[in-house]
Formats: sequence, structure tokens, C-alpha cells
Amino acid sequence: MIKAIFYKEWIKTKWIFILSALALFGFASYLIFNVYRMIELKGAVHIWEVMIQRDVLFIDMIRFVPPVIGILFAITQFVPEMQRKCLKLTLHLPCDAQKIILSMVGYGAVMLLLLFSATLACFYVNLRIILVEQIANHIILSAVVWFLSGILAYLLTAWCVLEPTWKRRILNAVVSILLVKIFFYNVAGEAYNSFLPILLLYTAMASSFVFLSVSRFKEGKQD
Amino acid sequence: MKKFSSVLLIITVAFLCLWQLPWLYSFATAKKDKSPFVLYSPVIDDFTLSLYTDGMQHTDLSGNVYTQSELDSIHPFFYARQLLKDERFPDSVKGIPVTYKDSQNESFYYRINPKDINAPQIGVYQLMESMSSRVKLESPDDVFRFTKKSIEFIDAETNTLNSDKSARFTEMLSKSGFVFPANSLSGNPSVKKDYDEGYLVLDAENNLFHLKQTVGRPYVRKIDIPEGVKIKNIFITEFRNRKSLGFASDTENNFYVIENKTYDFHKIGIPEFIPEKNAMMIYGNMVDWTIKVSSVEKVVYYAVDANDYSLIKTYEEAEEETFSGKVSKFVTATSLRFTHPLDKYVYPRFGL
Amino acid sequence: MENIIECRNLTHYYNKRKIYENLSFSVPKGRILGLLGKNGTGKTTSINILSGYLKPKEGECLIFGENIVDMRPELRAKIGLLIEGHVQYDFMNIEQIEKFYSRFYPNWKREAYYELMSRLKVAPKQKISRMSCGQRSQVALGLILAQDPELLILDDFSLGLDPGYRRLFVDYLKEYANSEDKTVFLTSHIIQDMERLIDDCIIMDYGKILTQLPVQHLLDNFRKVSCSLPERYKFEANSDFYNPAQIGNNFEVYTFLPENDIRSYFHNQQIPNDNFRTEILNLEDAFIGLTGKY
Repeated sequence: MIKAIFYKEWIKTKWIFILSALALFGFASYLIFNVYRMIELKGAVHIWEVMIQRDVLFIDMIRFVPPVIGILFAITQFVPEMQRKCLKLTLHLPCDAQKIILSMVGYGAVMLLLLFSATLACFYVNLRIILVEQIANHIILSAVVWFLSGILAYLLTAWCVLEPTWKRRILNAVVSILLVKIFFYNVAGEAYNSFLPILLLYTAMASSFVFLSVSRFKEGKQD
Repeated sequence: MKKFSSVLLIITVAFLCLWQLPWLYSFATAKKDKSPFVLYSPVIDDFTLSLYTDGMQHTDLSGNVYTQSELDSIHPFFYARQLLKDERFPDSVKGIPVTYKDSQNESFYYRINPKDINAPQIGVYQLMESMSSRVKLESPDDVFRFTKKSIEFIDAETNTLNSDKSARFTEMLSKSGFVFPANSLSGNPSVKKDYDEGYLVLDAENNLFHLKQTVGRPYVRKIDIPEGVKIKNIFITEFRNRKSLGFASDTENNFYVIENKTYDFHKIGIPEFIPEKNAMMIYGNMVDWTIKVSSVEKVVYYAVDANDYSLIKTYEEAEEETFSGKVSKFVTATSLRFTHPLDKYVYPRFGL
Repeated sequence: MENIIECRNLTHYYNKRKIYENLSFSVPKGRILGLLGKNGTGKTTSINILSGYLKPKEGECLIFGENIVDMRPELRAKIGLLIEGHVQYDFMNIEQIEKFYSRFYPNWKREAYYELMSRLKVAPKQKISRMSCGQRSQVALGLILAQDPELLILDDFSLGLDPGYRRLFVDYLKEYANSEDKTVFLTSHIIQDMERLIDDCIIMDYGKILTQLPVQHLLDNFRKVSCSLPERYKFEANSDFYNPAQIGNNFEVYTFLPENDIRSYFHNQQIPNDNFRTEILNLEDAFIGLTGKY
């Protein structure tokens, strides 16, 4: 049954998945190419120096891409459920409602996790060729928080989209924006290291927010 | 599950309010910070305060008012260029004969920021060539890192380990009694300085070492630390006068100068300096140093003798107790924030 | 007779607006029951409460003896649901949607679905979103037939359908319900369609149920009485008479009373009438007779 849910979610999201993969791959390729080109033009010594002394990451342009992908993914996955109250069909399926919702959200989170970890791996493998381990680690650890924000943005957008009333949806959106904002302090590379486990735990817990929306939907809340 | 998410949402909203509402308050009530520029004058043996309130005002602690031109002459080292231009540069200060060139050579500005100490470290560093054959210093073409058993140099162009150089340096360090890995190190690998002293390094047992590269070879020197002193932070100086090698602070929050060549330790006569919490600024000249130590709570200025580092005078900036100040303090103390002026980390914390 | 649906003391408000108070009804097994009412009398509210997408302020609805909100999945599998407007996952095509639903229902009747689909002139890969409303109604119906539920809940099945598709829908449904002893609970805003389909009807008025009875009883016994009365004559109606109305001399009133009883009432009350006539009504007229034109 969960396989069938995944099948339905895949039909809805295959295009956004492919587009996201292309966008991430394109962005990552561009940024990696850029570092390679700069090394060719200015020499590895100079680029390493800039990275070490000025804490320049060279890939921070990709910062906002994961949350944007997270938001778009959630919209493509959950707006069709809310159109003409299709969610009623989903919730009427002879299966535990919690299990259905969890597998829908789980599907999206896993897909994004796949995309994001593939991107990070792509960065690491390519940067490691030209950068010493410590610098490559530094860049990846600095980037992890942006990708985690993409997962949270996905979960929070799902929560907002599934919410049945507009008033509450706007409040949810405000909370969501503030929460995602926490991931984007531009203080220094690896500034989030000690905070990451908490953010990770919170993101996992935030997947429960959709149940609030679904429960309000089932109670027939309206504006 | 619904109960769990409701509770989580309530807690989330509460935390967001604790974060955003105080921020809104301080944003709405933000005032321009009016801190005077404070400098010790060896001529009048007092601090002068320069503050902008409808025009620049210069006073000393006794309340005497100075014009800009008068101020220039009581700070002959700080305003040396201006005095030279006005052809007013003195022949002597406090009976000591001075020249413009000496004053330039002996003056320095140094700052220590907790933000630089409380910050994520990448873990690779650049060691310059201290005896460069060129007139100017050059960037090294490799980086080094400490492992549990050695020091390793990695060539940037090829991104490969330079085994020979690593072995040479490791051997030299080991021979000098260095215990791997390094606890902390301080260096300033910049080509925009007059000379290079490499790094001050604390090893795994908190012994202090001086490490530099001379003609490609390692120079390692273990520095004797005064009996009973446990060094916590080290700072390389590389001032133009080459008198000092660096500063150090210990676990008792004392502050020391390490002299160049002799590696002698001298305690500086300021009562306390905690590098993780206090920002320090030093305006030094050949006669005295003005040391500004600021913490979240207060700012204290010390005048210190440039030769024996004894304390000459202290000035603590008095803070007016206002109602809005009290409100601000309360708001700050109860607010949630993710960044802090004293470090480069992001994590949730309350108050300053 | 066993009741498949049992709604007890339903009370619901939208904010401060009362929809109904203390509403109770039940649907016996094997019957096709239509919920009739004018707009705003709470038909959709009832369907929503029944299908678990609205929590009533008070009261509860039981289906197969359980509240649908926390119903066991096995039992939920026995309920077929048609959402207003024949809503289905319109991002799927007819093959995908069959494949999807078939995983959830152990007794899935694939042939029933494809038999219906074979009559639609749609390509197997055509998305439901690009079908006409009538075609979509057939997809929704086909899925319900394949699910083979014991209880069908249909919300306004005639919405958006042209007469042909409406007739087709009704015929399939009737055939299905009668041959397999299924229970159906439905609403529609087109009452003509119901006449061909339903066994019983519940007629709702604002805030309450007017009556619940077999349709045949209504058609056989409910009459319109018309006659001429003097202008501005005040007709004293007792509770046997519904919605008396007079325009000029023409008077009409509705009642379940047999013709003889009506005549004797008119006689006993000494009502000065002319051209006395009674008529048997179709469902739509009967509905209007019971609920009034306004």
C-alpha cells in the first residue's frame, strides 16, 4: 500500500524531481567549474589562501537553491491534493491515515535527501581533487545547513499547503519563514556545526506539523 | 501525533517570539552608540576623550578642553604625521629625545577580537618563508596541518603531500620536545608585513614553541614559560620595532609580552584580560601603550609603560543608569538569539 | 431491518450560523436513500459529517456501527465515496488510477472498471484532468464499481453532467445497487434524477428533517389540491396541509390526506371553493409541495 502511495506521489512529482536534479546538477557543475577555472587562472596557492584566510567558500551561490526546491517540491506534491479537496480521496483509502500522510511526506523528504546528498557528494568528490581535505570538509560542512533548510522548507510548505483555511495558512507561513531564516546566518563557514544536530532533530520533528493541517482538514475547518 | 505536533508548534511559536519581539524592540529603539575615542597622553599624563556631540570635543579626565591642534601636540606619536606636516614634531617627549622616524617605527596598533578566537577553524595554515631571497614577502605554495603524530605540508598546485618537507619539520619539532598534535597556534601569513616570525604554537601538553621556516628549513624553539603559568592563548605580533614576538594570556587571565630573540616573558600590568570574552585594542608608542579592554558590560582603558609594562593609569567608562537602559538590559537578558558579538557560531542562546 | 448508517442528534453551526440541531436519521441496509433539500439546508454538511470530513458540534454518525473518523481500514474499504464534482486524482490517467486503487482493495474488480472505460472514447494515457466532466464521472463511477463497496456515499452526483451522462450514471448505479443488495446514500440538486433511482428519501428543510419516507409512498399519496377561493380568503390549514398559497382566486395546497378526507375537511370548514381538483405529483413537484417554493 505504501508502494501505491509512492507511485501516486511519483506521478505528481516526477517533473519537479527531474527539474530539481537538473537545476542542482547545473548549479553544482557551474560552481565547481568556476573553482577549477579560477585555480587555472590565478593558481591553486592563491585560491587556497583566499579560502583559508578570508573564509570564502566559492559555492555559497547555491545557498538558496535547496529551500526553493523544497518549497516547489511541496507545492507540486500537495497542491493537487488540495485542489477540489482531493485529499478526501486520499484519507478515505482503507489504510491508517497517519501512515498515509507519513508516507507521503516521507516520500518527499527521501527524494530531496537523495537529490541533496547527491549534490553534496558531487561537490565533495570534485573539490577534493583540487583542495586539501580540510578545506573540502570545511566547504561541505558549511553547505550542509543550506541543504537541511531545503528539507525543512519542504516539510513546512507541506504543512502550509495542507492547512484548510487561509487565515491559518498565512500564520503558518510566517512561522515557516522565520524558521527557515534561522538557517541563513552568514557568520562564517562551519558556524552551524554545534547547532546542526539540534536543527536536524527539529527538522525531523517538524515533519509532524502536517498532521495538524490534516486533522484540521478532517474537522472541516474553513475560513 | 496531533498532540505532539501541537505542543511542538506552541513551543516553536514561543521561541520565535522570544527571538523576534526583542529584536523588534531593539530595532525600534536603536540609538547611535556614543563611545569616545580615548587615548593616553604622555605629555599631560592623562587620558583624553574625543567625542562627537555637535562638533568634535576633546577633553581630558580633569575636564580641560583641547582644540584639535592642542590635541595633536599632546599626542606627539599618534598625530606624528600631522605634527611633521605642521613642522611641530617635538625633539623630545618626557625628556627622551625622539625623531619622527623612531616614532613611526615604535608605534603600532594591535587588536584582539573574541570573534577571531571563538570561531570555527579550518585546520590548515600557511607557513611563509622568513628569510625570503626577495625584497618582499611571498605567499607559500603549500599549507600545513597538524596530525596526531606529525606536521604535514600539502602542495597546493598538485594537492599532494610533500613527504620530505613534512618529515623534516616533524623531525625537528619532535627533537625540540614538541608533543603532537598542536593545541593552538597563532601566525599572520600576510605579505603585507615587514618581516615574518612564523607561528607561536602550543603543543598537546601546552608547551610553547616558536616555529618558522628559514630558507626552506624548520626553525623550532621551545619557549620557557615562567614557573606556574599555564598559557591559554597566544598572539603573534610582528611589530615594526621587532621588540616583541607575541602576546600570551594564561588561565589566570594575566596578559604577557613575549620578547623577541630572548623569548623572555613580561607580565603586562593590566588586572585582567579574557581573550574569549574581551576585545582588546592597543595603541602603542615608544613611551606608553593605551590598552582598551571591552566586554559586554564595560569598557576599561589602561595606560601602560612601554618599557616595563607597568600600569600607569586606568579609566573606566561610566555608564549612565537610565530607565530605557534598564528596559533594554532586561529585554536583552530574556531574548533568544542565534548569533553573538563575541563569536562566529550560530546556535540558540539567551541574553548576551 | 439492519441500519447501515445511523446519525444521532447531529447539531452543527458554521461560526454562529445554525445549520441544524438534533438531527437524527438512519439508512437501512439495501436501500437507496436520497437526501433532498434546498440549497443551504445542510445536505453537503450531512455528507461531510458522514464521510468524516466535518466534525459536528454535537452528535455522531455511525456507519456499520463505527464512527468513520476512527474507523478500521477494513471497514472503510466497504464504503465507496463520490466527492462532489466526481473529483478524482486528475493528474493520473485511467490506467494509472486503476493501478493505484487496486492495491488498496483486496476484492478489486478490474473488469468492472475497464468495461466502463472501454465505452469512453479516451486514450489510455489521457490524463483525467483533460477529460470532459461526463467522462470523469464515468471514471469515478468505474472506480467505485471496481471497489465493490457495500455502502455508497455520493455527493451531488449530477453536478456538471449533461442529461445523457446523468441517465447513464443513474442506470449503472441502480443496476449495481439492486443486483447486489448495496446501500446507497446520495444527494443531488436535480430531483428528476432521483425519482428513477432512490427507494427512500429524506426531505430537509432549514434546520430540520421534514420527513423520511419511501419515495413510492410519497408519489402515491402526496397530492396537490387546487381550487378557486374568494380573494383574500384566509385558509385555516392544520398540520395535514403543506404550503397553502393563493394568487388571485387560484388557491393550492399540498397534503397526504386521501381525497375523501380532503373534501370532508373543506366541507366541515365551510370553505367556499370552486373547481376543486386533486393531482398526483412527480418527485420534483412533491418536493416543492413539501418545502415550498421559497
